[in-house]
Parts: sequence; C-alpha cells; structure tokens
Amino acid sequence: MSSDDELAERLRSGDEKALRTAYERHGAAVLYLAQRLLGNRADAEDVTQLTFVAAWTGRDGYDPQRGTILSWLLGIARRKVVDRLRSAARDERVTETVRTQLSPAAAPETPERIVDRLIVADELGRLPDEQRRSLELAFFDDLTHPQIAAMTGLPLGTVKSHIRRGMASLRRRWEVDGAAFGSRSAGPSRAL
Amino acid sequence: MQHLDPDRLVLLALSEESEELTESDHLERCAGCRHDIASLREVAELGAESQELRDLPAPPERVWDAIEAGVARTAKPAVTAPVVSLADHRHRRPRRRWAPLVAAAAAAVLAVAGTVAFDRFAGQRAERSVAARATLTPLPTVSADASGRVRVLTDGALEIDVRNLPLTTGFHEVWLLDPDDPTKMVAIGNLSGSRQDVLPVPPGTDLNRFRLVDVSDEPHDGDATHSGKSLLRGTLTS
Repeated sequence: MSSDDELAERLRSGDEKALRTAYERHGAAVLYLAQRLLGNRADAEDVTQLTFVAAWTGRDGYDPQRGTILSWLLGIARRKVVDRLRSAARDERVTETVRTQLSPAAAPETPERIVDRLIVADELGRLPDEQRRSLELAFFDDLTHPQIAAMTGLPLGTVKSHIRRGMASLRRRWEVDGAAFGSRSAGPSRAL
Repeated sequence: MQHLDPDRLVLLALSEESEELTESDHLERCAGCRHDIASLREVAELGAESQELRDLPAPPERVWDAIEAGVARTAKPAVTAPVVSLADHRHRRPRRRWAPLVAAAAAAVLAVAGTVAFDRFAGQRAERSVAARATLTPLPTVSADASGRVRVLTDGALEIDVRNLPLTTGFHEVWLLDPDDPTKMVAIGNLSGSRQDVLPVPPGTDLNRFRLVDVSDEPHDGDATHSGKSLLRGTLTS
C-alpha cells in the first residue's frame, strides 16, 4: 500500500489511477459522512461523486503538511454537503428550519464528531497488527489489560506497551487531522 | 511535581482503573496531565465508536462511474504533441454530415484530444494518461444489454471493455470512423473474446477526425474491409 505522500504525488502529477486508489481507500468514509449529514442515500452518493471530482480538479491544492488525504477529502465532502443543504434550503425556502435542525444543540452528532471518528478508525486500521488487535479488544470488547494478555497470549507488559503506543498514535493523528479539522475548514463548513 | 505515568494515564482513560486520591489531587493541580487524560479519554471514546466503521461497505460502482464521467468532463487535453483542436477542424472542413451517425456525435460535447503517438517521436516516455474515452452503446439491431467502454491513452493504447456482445461465427473488430465521412476509417484490431482488450492505435491517427469507435461483426471471408454489420458505437471525447 502506497503512502499518503506517494499517493498525493501521483495525484498531483495527474495520474488518474491515483484517484481510483484514493477512492478505493476512502470512498466508503466519504459516503458514510455524507449519508450521516444528509440522511439521504441518493444525495450522499451525489456528494461522494462531487467530492472526488473536486478532489481531482483541486488536486494541486492538497498539502500533505496540513493533513492526510482522508481529512482533505472529508473537508471537501463537508463543503459539498453544505452547498447541497443550502441549495435545498433556497429551493424550499426553509433556511430557518434547516439551520435549526443543524445547530449542534439539536443535532445528535456534530460533523466534527463523525469526521473524528472516521479519522480514528482510519488510524486504527493503520496500526501494526498486534497493537490494533490489543486496542480493539480494549475498545470494542471492553477487556482489561490482563484479559487481553490472556486472550492473545502476549505478556502483560507487551499488551501495556501496545496499548500505550497505539493510543499515542491515535491521539497524534486525531490532534493533527481531526481536531485541527474544524479550524482548517472554517469557511462555509462553519454553518454546519 | 510527579506527573502521572503514561501507562497509568492510559488505564485511567480507558476507565480500566479509577483514580487514587493522590492522582485526583495531582490532576486537579496539573493542567498538563488533565489535558493528556482528557485527550486520551476522547480518543478511547472515538475508538470505541469506530467499531461500526470497520468494514464500511464500498460505494456502489455507479458512484465511481459518475466520478469518471465528471473527471472526463473536466479533463484538459493530456497530450504533449501538437493537438489538432476541434475548433480548427470545424473551421477547415465544410460540414458534411452523415445523418445516422450525426445524431450520436452531435449529442456529445466534442473536445477531443489530438493525435496519437507523439511520444515515440519525442523520444521520451510521456506519462500514460487518458487522451479520450467513449461509452459504446448497441445499435438498434443489437440486444440492448450490449455495451462497452473505451479509453485511448496518450501512448496510443486503446483499452476496450465490452459486455454482452452477440455471438459471432466470425470475429469482432474495432474501428475508428470519421463521422463526417464514414467511408473513411482506421482498422484498430480484433477482440480476443475476453471482456477486456488493449489494442494499439496506429501512430499519427487523428482522434479529432476518427472519433467514432465502432465494433463490428466480421465474417471469415478474407475481406479486410468493414462488413457493414456494426454492433456498438460511441464517440470519443476527452
């Protein structure tokens, strides 16, 4: 699997296969975000399409220093969602209703939260196998360190270090890619 | 001041153990450790929520098809050699139109990409990117589920993907026709019978002129000209 940097390089050089790779890697996450925000499958698929076409035409604007390809794509997707909601609002003249529905207080979940979750899930998938496995047992199955050690047959000290390192990686990624997300895409997305 | 040990922070963040009194005291006084533990807790929560994101289903293929179409619409000519622009052509050539083909051709936005095979002369490997593409649709005499897609790369390779072509006792051949004068055409090659083939477009072929892709049914009659039995057609656009 090629790194983000390499993929970015290929994208910038106009390699359409790189777009396909980015889509295979992150298309599902973009669709998930769009569907969560729009609540409508057909619109979500449209937004996914618009996102990747915009990523292609705007590929020169992607800066690997500022975040991963995933967070860049999710940022584009959020702007497309906002555009879509605005045009819907214009069409139906229900701007006020939409805004109310979308205010953080009323929404069960903020876009930031969904994005952060996607980012953390992506990073979890990138961790070395044993680290990932240990963390999944802790997160999903709520197992304690000793239980994980018993389950995996790894020494307790190893489990501890896997979990500590894994958590540190997730945290780093989240702080770089997730938390910074909101400020990076200030602009239209703020409305959401 | 003794900060909390990183392992300990993780255990507390995962709520696997609870704070000792001394730790609570320290957390109250130490913004750094408070921040660490808050971040780790957040990450642990997000991690737990991420379970539903494992194995997200891939979007349906139609989404990718739409992306490809969108990208094709935005594509700039990707060729490095002098491009024979469509505008020039229109200027130079009188509009002779060949009715049956024009309907299809006129419907498409034609902004095609130029002449194939410059790299050979340029003496350097240009990047392989798509110079033109076409979606092939069945002629009225052919079953409606027959279809095809064609991409011509800048190095002159024509990638063709066909579905549900009618069976033949002869073979299927690919042509590039001049829709303005359909007696003029370039034979590209025959299909292997598998769904996908890559055929070379002869160097120097003007894709602005020979922009109508045609797949025909050819009998084994030793006659190298087009049989007149076209099955699929589509117009190349960049």
